[in-house]
Amino acid sequence: MMPAIYLEAIVLTLGVLLVLMEAFSNSEEKTPVAWLGIVGLTFVFILTFFTANDLSASPYSAFYHADFRAIFFKRFALLTTIVVLVLSIEYRGVVQKYVFGSRPQAGLGEFYALPVFTCAGLMWMASAVDFIMIFVSLELVTISFYILVAYMRRNAGSLEAGVKYLILSALSTGFFVYGITWIYGVTGQTSLEKIGAILLGLKVSHGPLLFGFMLVLTGLGFKIACAPFQIWVPDVYQGAPTPVTAFLSVGSKAAGFIVLMRVAEVFLPVPWINHKAVTILVALAALSLLYGNLAAMPQHNLKRLMAYSSIAHAGYILIAVACIGSRYANIAVSFYLAGYLLMTLLTFLVMAAVANQAGGDDIVHFNGLGKRSPYLAFAMLAAMASLAGIPLTVGFFGKFLIFYVAYEKGQFLLMGIGVLTVAAGFYYYFKVVRAMYWKEPADDTPVRTSPLTGATIAALAFCIFFLGVYPAPVIRALEGPPSDNPRLLAR
Amino acid sequence: MIKDYLPILIQAVVAIGFAASALVVSIILGKAGKRNPTKDTAYECGMLPEGNAQPRFSVKFYQVAMLFILFDIEIVFMYPWAVVFREFVRAHHPVIFWSMLSFVSILTVGYVYAIKKGALDWKK
Amino acid sequence: MNLNDYLAVSGLLFAIGFAGVMLRRNIIIIFMCLELMLNAANLSLVAFSRFHVSAAGLPDYNGQMLVFFIITVAAAEVAVGLAVIVSLYRARRTTHVEDITSMKF
Repeated sequence: MMPAIYLEAIVLTLGVLLVLMEAFSNSEEKTPVAWLGIVGLTFVFILTFFTANDLSASPYSAFYHADFRAIFFKRFALLTTIVVLVLSIEYRGVVQKYVFGSRPQAGLGEFYALPVFTCAGLMWMASAVDFIMIFVSLELVTISFYILVAYMRRNAGSLEAGVKYLILSALSTGFFVYGITWIYGVTGQTSLEKIGAILLGLKVSHGPLLFGFMLVLTGLGFKIACAPFQIWVPDVYQGAPTPVTAFLSVGSKAAGFIVLMRVAEVFLPVPWINHKAVTILVALAALSLLYGNLAAMPQHNLKRLMAYSSIAHAGYILIAVACIGSRYANIAVSFYLAGYLLMTLLTFLVMAAVANQAGGDDIVHFNGLGKRSPYLAFAMLAAMASLAGIPLTVGFFGKFLIFYVAYEKGQFLLMGIGVLTVAAGFYYYFKVVRAMYWKEPADDTPVRTSPLTGATIAALAFCIFFLGVYPAPVIRALEGPPSDNPRLLAR
Repeated sequence: MIKDYLPILIQAVVAIGFAASALVVSIILGKAGKRNPTKDTAYECGMLPEGNAQPRFSVKFYQVAMLFILFDIEIVFMYPWAVVFREFVRAHHPVIFWSMLSFVSILTVGYVYAIKKGALDWKK
Repeated sequence: MNLNDYLAVSGLLFAIGFAGVMLRRNIIIIFMCLELMLNAANLSLVAFSRFHVSAAGLPDYNGQMLVFFIITVAAAEVAVGLAVIVSLYRARRTTHVEDITSMKF
C-alpha cells in the first residue's frame, strides 16, 4: 500500500517526461507522446487500487485527504484524461491545420502533454482540504485550460474562445480569492476542517463570513457552469478544439463540484448559514435547469447543444448539492458525475470521428449515420439516451438518485422543475437521434475510425449500459467497505 | 495652517485660467486651419518622415520578458523556505530539502524546454 | 492605521477592478483590472494576517503564504493570458471586445 500523494507525483513526472520527449526527440511523428501519456496514465489508474486510504499520520494531512471520495475522483480524472488523449489523437488533423510551424507536426507534442498536467491538478483538487491547496490546484487546471482552449492559434474561433475563457475565468478566480480572504479574515484559518470547527463553536461575525461564502460560491459557479454564471459556456465550448471541449465539460465541472461539496459540507451544517445557503443553491439549480434545457432546444450545432446540456446537467447535480445533509447526497453527486463522464465523452468521441469526415459538427452532419456506420450511430444513441435519462442507462440511475435525495429532503419544487426539464431534454436529444436514423445521408461513405477510438467507444457504451443495470461497483467505491456503511440499495 | 497654502491655490487658479483663456482666445481669434495630408505628417526637422509613428517591437522582447517574470517570481518561495529550513530539519525531517529540490528541478525542466524551443535565441 | 482602513482600500481596489472588467472595452485594460482584483485580495490578506496576532506577538503567517501563491499564480496567468491576447491581435488586428463576435447565439 503506497500513500496516495505519490499518485500525483507520478502523473506530474509523466507530464515532465512528455514535455522533455517533445523537446528533445528529432522525430517528425508526435503520436508516440500521446501513446506514452495513455500508457502512463493507465498505469497510475491501476496504482489507485493499491493506495492506502488513510493519511492521518503524514505531514501533509492538513492539506491533503485521501478518503474514498478523493480516490474516486482521482480515478475519474485519470479516466477522463485517458479518453481525452485518445480523442486528441483522433483530432490531430484539425489541430495540425491551425498550428503550423517549421515541421508538419510542430506543436502537437504539447497538445498531448498539457492534459497530463491538467490531470495532476484535478487529482490534487480531489484531495485538497485547505483553501491554499484548493486555490493552487484550481489554478493549475485553469491556466492549462487557457492554453488548451486557445491552442489552435491560426483559428479565429479558438482564439476568441480562449480570450473569453481567459477573462471570465480570471474574473471568477478574483471572486474566489476575495471570498477566501474574507473567510480567512473572520476565522483566521485556511483549513476547511478548522474553519468548520470555528464556525460551529465560537461566535463569529455573520456578515463578513456570509459575504466571503457567497463570493466563493460565485467563483465556483463559474467553474461548474451553472446558470447566472454560464455566459462563457456556449462560445467557449463551440470554439475550443473538440478534445478540449470534452475535457472542459467533464474535468473542469467535476473538479468544481468536488470543491463545492467540500466547502458546502463545512458551511451548510452551521444553522445560521444553512437556510440562506440552501435557498441560494436551490435558486441556482432551478435557474440552470430552466435555462440550460430551454436554450438547448433551438440549437443546430451539436457542440453548442452539448454546452447548454452541460449547464442543464450542472442544474441536476446542484439539486443534490442543495440537499447536503441527506445521507446519499454525496453519493448522488459523485454517481451522477461518473455517468456524465461516460455519456459526454462518448458523445464527443463520436462527434470527433464524424466531424473528421463531414467537416463540421452541426446536427445536419449526422444525417443518415445509422446507414453509413451503424456502430457509431448506436454508440451515439446510447449516449443520447443516457443524457436524456432513459431507463437501463447510467443517466437514468443518476437522475433517480438525485430525485430520491431531493424527495428525502422535501425539495419538491426542485423535483417538479427537474421532472419537467427532463421532458424538455427528450426533445433536443431526440433531434440528434432523428437525424441519425430518419434522415437521408448526404453521402454514403462509412465513417472511418482508428481501432483505438473504436475500442474506447465500445468500452464507454458498454459501461453506460452496465452501470445502468448494475450500479453497485461505483457506489461501493464511494462508500468504502460495505461493512461499516449502510448499503444504499439492498441488491 | 491653511493660510500658508493660499499662494499655491492662487498659482493654480492663475495657471488654469491662463491655459483656458489661451485656448478660448485662439478659438475665437484664430482662423480654422485647413487640414491637408502634408500638414498632418509628423514634423521631422524638414526631412520626409519614414515608417510608422509606433515602431514595431520584435516578439522576442515579449518572450524574454515573460520568461524573466516567470522565473523571477519563483524566488518568492525560496525566501520563507530558507528562513525556516534549519529549525524544520532539526524538529521534523529533511523532507523540506527534497521538496525544494524537486521544485527547483521542475523549474529547470522549464528552463531546458525554453532553451530547446529557442525562446532565448536572439538571432532566430 | 487600523484594520478597517486597509479593508476599505482593498474593497475599493476590488470595486475598481470589477467595474473596469464590466465597463472597459479594451482587453488589455480588462486584464489589468483583473490583476487589480487579485491584488485587492492580497492587500486584505496581508492586513488580516498582520492583525491576527498570536500569543507570542507574531502575525499569522498562513495568510501571507497564500499571498505568495496568489502572486505566482497571477504571474503565470499574465504570461499565458498576454500570449493569448497577442495571438488574437495578430489574427484579428484588434483588442476590442466588440470585434470578437464570430460566434453568436
